[in-house]
Amino acid sequence: MLGLLWTNIDYAASVGLFCIGLYCVITKNNLIKKFIGLNIMESAIFAFVVALGVVDGGDAPIMGAGARPPFTNPIPQALILTGIVVAVSTTALALSLIIRIYRQCGTIEADELREME
Amino acid sequence: MSFSALLVGIIVVPLVGALLTPIVAGRNGNAAGPWSFGVMSLTSVIALLLLMHVVEVGPFSAYLGGWEPPYGIELRFDEFSASVSVICLLGTLAILFSFKYAAKELPAGRLRYYYTLLLLNLTGMLGFAVTGDLFNLFVFMEILSLSGYALVAVSGKPTAEMAAFKYLIMGAVSSLLVLFGIGLLYSLTGSLNMLDISRRLAGAPKAPAMLALAALAVGFLVKAGIFPVHIWLPDAHAIAPSPVSAMLSGLVVKIGLLGMVRVYQMYYGARVLDLSAFNTVLVWLGAIAIVMGAFFAIFQEDIKMMLAYSTISNVGYIVMGLGLASEYALIGAAVHIFNHAIIKAALFLGAGALIYQTGYRNLTDLRGVGRSMPLTTAAISVGAVSIVGIPPTAGFLCKWYIALGAFEAGQPFFGVVLVFGALFIFVYYIRMVNAFYFQEPVHPEILDATEPPMSMLVPVLVLAALCLVMGVLGRIPLTFIEPAVERLLAPLGG
Amino acid sequence: MKRALTAALLVLLALPLLYAVAQLPPHGSASSPPYTHVSPRYLERGPVEAGAENVVTDVILNYRGFDTNGEVTVIFTALAAVLAVLLGVRKDAGPVAGEPRAMSPVSPVVSFVVRLLAPFVALFAIYVILNGHVSPGGGFQGGAIIGALVIVTTVIVGRSQAEALVPARARRLLQAAAPLTFVCIGIAGLLMFGDYLAFPRVADLAWLRTAWLIAIEMGIGVGGAAIIATIFWTMGDE
Repeated sequence: MLGLLWTNIDYAASVGLFCIGLYCVITKNNLIKKFIGLNIMESAIFAFVVALGVVDGGDAPIMGAGARPPFTNPIPQALILTGIVVAVSTTALALSLIIRIYRQCGTIEADELREME
Repeated sequence: MSFSALLVGIIVVPLVGALLTPIVAGRNGNAAGPWSFGVMSLTSVIALLLLMHVVEVGPFSAYLGGWEPPYGIELRFDEFSASVSVICLLGTLAILFSFKYAAKELPAGRLRYYYTLLLLNLTGMLGFAVTGDLFNLFVFMEILSLSGYALVAVSGKPTAEMAAFKYLIMGAVSSLLVLFGIGLLYSLTGSLNMLDISRRLAGAPKAPAMLALAALAVGFLVKAGIFPVHIWLPDAHAIAPSPVSAMLSGLVVKIGLLGMVRVYQMYYGARVLDLSAFNTVLVWLGAIAIVMGAFFAIFQEDIKMMLAYSTISNVGYIVMGLGLASEYALIGAAVHIFNHAIIKAALFLGAGALIYQTGYRNLTDLRGVGRSMPLTTAAISVGAVSIVGIPPTAGFLCKWYIALGAFEAGQPFFGVVLVFGALFIFVYYIRMVNAFYFQEPVHPEILDATEPPMSMLVPVLVLAALCLVMGVLGRIPLTFIEPAVERLLAPLGG
Repeated sequence: MKRALTAALLVLLALPLLYAVAQLPPHGSASSPPYTHVSPRYLERGPVEAGAENVVTDVILNYRGFDTNGEVTVIFTALAAVLAVLLGVRKDAGPVAGEPRAMSPVSPVVSFVVRLLAPFVALFAIYVILNGHVSPGGGFQGGAIIGALVIVTTVIVGRSQAEALVPARARRLLQAAAPLTFVCIGIAGLLMFGDYLAFPRVADLAWLRTAWLIAIEMGIGVGGAAIIATIFWTMGDE
């Protein structure tokens, strides 16, 4: 069991990072810190998916002069390009909302906001 | 025009409409409304043509870029994709309703982006319903989620922005879970095409397959607003502008449930796991949601909060139907996805008309409005009767089928829960109808209110009429969805 | 208390996750399903079928081009969302609205270095966009570099001058450039080859395929940069 986990240590590290991010989202009070927790979770998932494509001794999947097999799998990289853009878009919207909340309520701490409601 | 081109068209037409809306809207953004209405009307025509085709020939596909799956992305229109008809209908009516509503409620500079976001939301939902590729599903889900978060906040009130932020955080976490599930499934099967995955999942190791199922299920169910992850829903749906509430409660929540159906299509076909434990959890969550949603709705004063809790309760019905996993229950749940969309949209648009004309949101303040706004209140009453499930309205047959499904699956207890839930719903809707018609007005100026403008009244009346029509013609969607459900359950023998 | 409880629950959650993740196909193995199912064809026939030596570009623009179409729509949605949330509000509402904006003077060192490097950065960005075929790079990467350049320039010279970088008249069109380019080329593919986003596959038309791929890359680059710049300016207005 532990041997299997050691081979897949990259995946295990992603799981650990995911849980750290989730901890930040749940327990931090400041809205921006919650959002940073979300970014940590996103990075964890991206690392997990890209790690799926790695091949031992693999090169970048760019053909042309001097390219030798084996090549890394190009599909996870393509998926995560899209995923990163989606994460950036969510970040832009969340930060805009935080800006508006700050302008209108004067605070971005979650417990103070809950009392104001 | 070939049908595969039309299948692409149903996504591309509203997309181009959304891209051009800020440009077409003109100096002060007033042209954005009629433009979006035109775009969605065209999309509705396309949806109708696709619907007629699937009735004739069954599921059909389009291969994007000419690459056959799994080397390319496939768009696959099956009976569950027929929800595009409801999406287009509700979208067009919500846009029509917005003409007067948004012009009054929103700051002027935002008007054109409001319509852009509405069209993008509809594009995302239409893409979600017709795609056959799992990662494409995720991309469209993100389009509709992002536009949804912004639409909740578009009115500019601080409560709206906080509700939108809560929705965003929970929605983003659920999207990440879906992406995690997609990564796991890719690692186990090497493919992203849903049909292909269900074929190749059979030999996969069990623990990661179970984890992928759990991740996808939690992700989609958070979007659907099931208990216990429903906490983003009441604020978001109640505080959003009314046409947006209609679309969120009617459609966006159903997208999460449609995602669950797609997950089921992959896992049932593969026979890789015994899903009975998973289904039991769903049935219990659904039952709790039915009772809890209805219970909380009874105590709400704000009419839109009441409707939001009612959505939680109805999502419970559908999830319970999915979990019972017998043929009747699945058919009832699938059709309830459509019917509840129509009913809830009628209710939210009607409530929006009341708020627009009178300025009041609480049931106490709205007493007596039935005398001055008879048409609107009649429409809301029809919606109320439908959602309780009294024949011959739209809600009756689906709930009847789910109850039958509970008995068919050998779990009659849940059929009883369903009836109890209906009784609870009956209580709070009676309270609403009582306040509108039979109680003395608290504010005398209520009696001077008039019916809303035609662009707002027509959608409300159309939807109310549809509640009755779908009740009378209820057999038709049920028989329509039957082959898809049979295909879903087939490997398990039934 | 809440923190300790959450931490304990998350540790409990992580255990079944780790158990499941350990049983995935071994990391780096060449016989895992992802490496043996769809990817071999992309790696073998990608440059010939799809027209770019960088197989990742083949995948995102040709084989799975529709996903990229959706993705540029997501960026556009983010722009519409940010504008819908931040535009059109009165500046004097709310408790912190009346605060004077603290402006620290821009350091002359920073200003000089940015002015010196800006043309080279822009050139590099265009190189990255156009070279996505044969090396790591592409529209998104180059567009992000241009966007970052616009942001740094705004910090140095102030918003009113930096806005000249994204001409006001064409601004809305530039923001929609990425998805519009995709749709135009997609429809061209539909009309000429029968499927949306179908690229020419015969060797005679390889020039057309390359032209279309470059057009899409430029569209994504320009569109992405315009959107990043607009989001930054709108947030800065607040």
